[in-house]
Amino acid sequence: MTRHTYAGQAAIVGIGATEFSKSSGRSELQLALEACAAACADAGVEPAEVNGLSTFTMETNPESEIMRGLGIPELTHFSRIHFGGGAPCATVQQAAMAVASGVADYVICYRAFNERSGRRFGSGVQDRPAGATAEEAQFAWTSPHGLLTPASWVAMFATRMMHEYGVTSEDFGRVAVADRRHAATNPAAHFYGQPITLEDHQASRWIVEPLHLLDCCQETDGGQAMLVTTVERARDLRQPMAVIEAAAQGMADDQHMMRSFFRDSIVGLPEMGTCARQIWETSGLGPDDVATAVLYDHFTPFVLAQLEEFGFCGPGEAKDFIAEGAIEVGGRLPINTHGGQLGEAYLHGMNGIAEGVRQVRGTSVNQVEGAEHVLVTGGTGVPTSALMVGAYR
Amino acid sequence: MSADDLLARLRGFVGAQGPVQVARHPVSAPAIADWCDAMGDGNPVYTDADLAAKSRHGGLVAPPATLDIWDRPGLPAQARFRPVAKAPADDPRSKVMRLLEEAGFVGVVAVNSELEIARYLRPGDRLQNVQLLEDVSEEKKTALGIGHFVTTRHRYTTADGEHVGDLLFRILKFRPGTGAAPPSMEGARPAPDPAPSLRPRPGINRDNQSLFDGYRAHELRIPRCQVCGATFFPPTPRCATCGAFDIGYTIGAGRGTLYSFNVVHHPQVGGFRYPLPVGLVELEEGPRIVADLVGVEADQLQIGMPLEVEWLDSHPALVEGATDSRGPISVPQFRPATPRRREETLSAATVQDGDRLPLWVLPVVPTQIVAGALATRDFQDVHHDRDLALQKGSKDIFFNINTSLGLMERYVTDWTGPEAVVTALRVRLGAPAYPYLPLTFAGSVQTVDADTGRAVVAVQATNELGPHVTGTVELELAP
Ligand SMILES: [Zn+2]
Repeated sequence: MTRHTYAGQAAIVGIGATEFSKSSGRSELQLALEACAAACADAGVEPAEVNGLSTFTMETNPESEIMRGLGIPELTHFSRIHFGGGAPCATVQQAAMAVASGVADYVICYRAFNERSGRRFGSGVQDRPAGATAEEAQFAWTSPHGLLTPASWVAMFATRMMHEYGVTSEDFGRVAVADRRHAATNPAAHFYGQPITLEDHQASRWIVEPLHLLDCCQETDGGQAMLVTTVERARDLRQPMAVIEAAAQGMADDQHMMRSFFRDSIVGLPEMGTCARQIWETSGLGPDDVATAVLYDHFTPFVLAQLEEFGFCGPGEAKDFIAEGAIEVGGRLPINTHGGQLGEAYLHGMNGIAEGVRQVRGTSVNQVEGAEHVLVTGGTGVPTSALMVGAYR
Repeated sequence: MSADDLLARLRGFVGAQGPVQVARHPVSAPAIADWCDAMGDGNPVYTDADLAAKSRHGGLVAPPATLDIWDRPGLPAQARFRPVAKAPADDPRSKVMRLLEEAGFVGVVAVNSELEIARYLRPGDRLQNVQLLEDVSEEKKTALGIGHFVTTRHRYTTADGEHVGDLLFRILKFRPGTGAAPPSMEGARPAPDPAPSLRPRPGINRDNQSLFDGYRAHELRIPRCQVCGATFFPPTPRCATCGAFDIGYTIGAGRGTLYSFNVVHHPQVGGFRYPLPVGLVELEEGPRIVADLVGVEADQLQIGMPLEVEWLDSHPALVEGATDSRGPISVPQFRPATPRRREETLSAATVQDGDRLPLWVLPVVPTQIVAGALATRDFQDVHHDRDLALQKGSKDIFFNINTSLGLMERYVTDWTGPEAVVTALRVRLGAPAYPYLPLTFAGSVQTVDADTGRAVVAVQATNELGPHVTGTVELELAP
């Protein structure tokens, strides 16, 4: 058993977001600054007190511009995490390590983009010139064959999962139905008031078989930020804190970026298994202690794999676990109570962390009774991250 | 003339017989061998006298699909080739056709062909047939246009009167321009240009160049440690097994099985045809690679299916002589593995209703179209002369019916083994089989009777234009 020493010493004390839209009408930098300022205001902390920033390597807004815009006089910590949607919980881990070790006092984790009206990640790498760095050259094994989008990469895993575990498209659809049911009661969600049925899911057009349109997350313009500080400082702040009980990053066996097709088995998510082991060992918790979770849902099939990697059920059993509304409000483990990235917004998982904080505070629009510990995960199929937040006692 | 009057006149010929058509030459071993070459049929009962003698046939036989080729008039019947006009044919079908053409039904397309085999032909048999006009349908609305179906039956006998089989043949004579309007494409986004050169080029660097050099030579190179022999994919400069930086390659056999797959519908980009099936192929040598799947429809994909490589020269060089990303690019694609001919004849007891035959993807090339037409003694210009085929409104030369039937027979008897006895071949004809459009044969057992050995195998051969032939092969398996 290894326990991360910073665990329990840091907390998320502020969350802030822009509206989630399909066309923000303003710059990505403005979105980032709005979200960061909102997170500070939520916590009652002056932006000038912030001296750390953590974000994604994909982020277009550099720390220097955030610093200027927020009026931050000095930064002692700024770090970035690679691999797109795998990064969100890792930015919080960076912040927690920085404040627990005294490197920084207040760290903002942020992500903002015009992902729908600007550069759409869903359109993949089709227009990318053939670079030949070690990273770019990996696309040589998929792009010339027509696998150009995240959906096309994930679908390859999904087919094998269906083959080995007897999972059906309807099973994937139950994830979408749960997300959209939760989004339907969330005024901040793009799909507020628009639940779907399994029949809607089945009738939606193919994107990449076996993925229907309704298996795929939205594309969104928006920004989301979280403010992190020590538990000690957090006690004096405006909001109930969400203690960072554990945070983890993971890469595993023969890792590739959403294209780990060459492993012995491709039905699991071993990098998420690496995260799960650290989360449980560090937090001292187990699946029975978790009443709700925010599981990264860019594509529905990997939600099933995450349930298995975290031990909510055994390998291949997720399709049974999610039956009968178990992942909807009122069920054994309601997931993505904000509506997830299928229902609320696609913010590279950062909006899911905010929902984890709201569940701990007791302010979610779909509040789950006894949500003392909330699991949040980062992107699936990529090098990833996970987070456990809990109430302060 | 009213439609009713026309139909009455046409139907006046129903039941009429034509003159006896006699073959100029007997069934012969060399002609059989040419047919087998054209169809790629290696069944020894057709060409190996020793093996044939020991078979249930007791000697060489002709492929059953050749029943209606032997008494064909051959090249002299071609008007374009023969300078002198011939007298109008006086068989009942020709008379019906002339009446229909005078009434504006000038379009013609073959619809059904059914061969029933009473006994296998042998070298030396001299064949003849008599045509019977079996039916002229009432006026029908079809997708091609308003028309009449004309059905003839041809009874085949040897010169001394022994019945050897029958052919039922149905054609549609239609009025061009009276068919269903093509579906409106208004508002539909045009499909992107599928020219392979529009595909993304791979990024080639020092770590993967050896593989792409191999691909250019159509070698499926697999990275291999020169020190410990470990193979892996994708390439990397250091062997993770032993630590050596000495990485070479081994050349894969180009065979594998389908480990997983997907079918891309959106977004659609230039360089590909959609829906696009893409496979994760587990090579015989161990590593997996991603490759397009060709000659196979999405609903025919099955994890575990055997595959073989088919190279695509996707991109010409941007810079002549360049060996990096600017050089010429070739990429592996995979198609269903060509099924092997079974040596031991399948026993009916081991076959069940619904059993699927392995897929067979035939890369259709002009030589095979011409060879098939000539080997089946069909000298119609549309099967060998591209210029004339274009003049007649076709996109290219295309398979004649007997070649399609022959290939279908080969497909099924390769699966059954050499001594299955074909008793009937029945097909409905569809999209033409043009050059360069791979033709995929799929089949399944419709019925099988373990006691009698009788089985019916349903077959469909499809190219990207749609089903080319759809039908059944009736046969007797080994008991
Ligand atoms: Zn080695």
